[in-house]
Amino acid sequence: MPAPPPDARSFTATVSAVVACGTDGVLLSVRPPQPLPPLRAARFFMLRREDGASPAIPRPFSLYRQADDELVFLVKVTGRGTRALAACEAGSKLRVIGPLGNGWPDLDGDGGPWVMLAGGIGSAPFFMAIEQALSGLGAAPALAAENLCLLYGASTAGFLYDLERFEELGVRVLVATDDGSRGFRGNVCELLEREWEAGGLPRDVRLLACGPDPMLHAVERLARARELSCWLSLEELMGCGVGICNGCPVPTRPEGPLGAWPNAKCCVEGPVFSTEEISL
Amino acid sequence: MADLSVELASLALRNPILSASGTFGHGLEMEHFSPPHTMGGLVSKTVTLRPRPGNTAPRIHETEAGFLNSIGLENRGIGAYLRDVLPRVADADTRIFTNIGGEEAGEFAELASMLDERDEVDALEVNLSCPNVGGGRLPFSTDPALAERVMRGVREATDKPVFAKLSPNVTRIGEIARGAEAGGADGVTAVNTLLGMAVDWRHRKPRIASVQAGYSGTGIKPVALRCAWECARAVDVPVIGCGGVGSAEDVLEFVVAGCSAVQVGTAAFSDPALPGTLAEHLDDLLEAEGVASVRELVGSLDREGRAPA
Repeated sequence: MPAPPPDARSFTATVSAVVACGTDGVLLSVRPPQPLPPLRAARFFMLRREDGASPAIPRPFSLYRQADDELVFLVKVTGRGTRALAACEAGSKLRVIGPLGNGWPDLDGDGGPWVMLAGGIGSAPFFMAIEQALSGLGAAPALAAENLCLLYGASTAGFLYDLERFEELGVRVLVATDDGSRGFRGNVCELLEREWEAGGLPRDVRLLACGPDPMLHAVERLARARELSCWLSLEELMGCGVGICNGCPVPTRPEGPLGAWPNAKCCVEGPVFSTEEISL
Repeated sequence: MADLSVELASLALRNPILSASGTFGHGLEMEHFSPPHTMGGLVSKTVTLRPRPGNTAPRIHETEAGFLNSIGLENRGIGAYLRDVLPRVADADTRIFTNIGGEEAGEFAELASMLDERDEVDALEVNLSCPNVGGGRLPFSTDPALAERVMRGVREATDKPVFAKLSPNVTRIGEIARGAEAGGADGVTAVNTLLGMAVDWRHRKPRIASVQAGYSGTGIKPVALRCAWECARAVDVPVIGCGGVGSAEDVLEFVVAGCSAVQVGTAAFSDPALPGTLAEHLDDLLEAEGVASVRELVGSLDREGRAPA
């Protein structure tokens, strides 16, 4: 029975800053009562306001950055819960549950370059992933910048959250928008195909993807067709985030490494899954 | 310090706070949030004879005042529970209740007899009421005779205390409670989720794939209180209250209405550390009120006159 991560706790934290980001997003900085050790990118936290302005059930948010003992979350306003978080002021109290989930695998240098495919708010788990790959994390030593490439797509330029800061990280960043308002006109999968044809990327890349469902389905199809290693960071409805409510099932591959059980729990077995483990 | 200990039939609990089935895992998954020693007991997610993969997603949806779920009793079956879960709760510093579910009366009895042999299990809770299973099949909890039959089979299969978890989706829950008592239940849990539904009108879609779902959380507390009170008046065995409990005040409302213990469920999704704090808050409330033992308040509802403003 998958259990919550042993380092996960439930605590009250204080909002230190809310900064607008993109057309409909904010960067929400939160100070926990005690600093947390460095956390693997793509792990997440459940968040809600403690003053009753949020829905009663907290919602999952990927950790965007860790800096100065603070946790930073990139929040896209889509409904009541995210509106309440975006309306926080410095000093607002949040219920925080985490860190949760597994995070990206070690980005090692033992294969083709890593290509990160981000769709809109799906860029959130990639900022720290790039930082950690460049400095080394876990069993993986520091990776040279040429082994990393971010393909950042969105429907329009206003949903390319925090793009300038991504571009300052020192890795290659290519941009795609559906409406052509910035960068390549099209989606990240088409952009990847174009890079392959133009020789801008080798064929044996390893893929990491986070974004809307249609994009993840397309990435999965592409990875299977080309037999590429691929990890997807998923977002599901979650009731608890800690493996208890069974509300976030992800279909597993019957022959895959997760075993024969038909569902994995996105919250405790993910949110990052390899395409060997699951099939969307 | 007030005396928080209670007795459920032959079972002594350190305090009246139990987890509600399906909101706390099968074993000790929540131990880092709400340590076992802070709880009177842990009630497992429903265990069935055969593995059940559960329902199609979406399975959950939050509404204005509560939470809808239709998980479909996803679990790996009694074999995996006996093999993988029970050894890990052997040394748990709390009471372990195993919640069992079945599709026919004989399945409940079979599960009970398999669990009877296991010392890790202190008591059984019989899920007569989960509204999610099957098509148009009526739950056992809608008919006193059916409830009695299931509980009699369970009673004959085990010497452990057995509790019948009832559904609020009936006209007279007291009659169902009496049926369970007649079948040999040592107590009843009132209540399971209310049947509910939510609609995304723009897309003409149900919010939950199976359309109907179990409604829980703050919004159901008045219904749950009424059900628990009705059960307490109908039977002589202890009643365990369940539905919308999120604070020690809520716990005492159920106790005064006639409950010997109370389960906390959906509130654990808002904060998984909350269940573990309730006993301490309960102690504070009783101390402040000058009540020596929580047992003094069980069923102390005074219907004469008006409550002071």
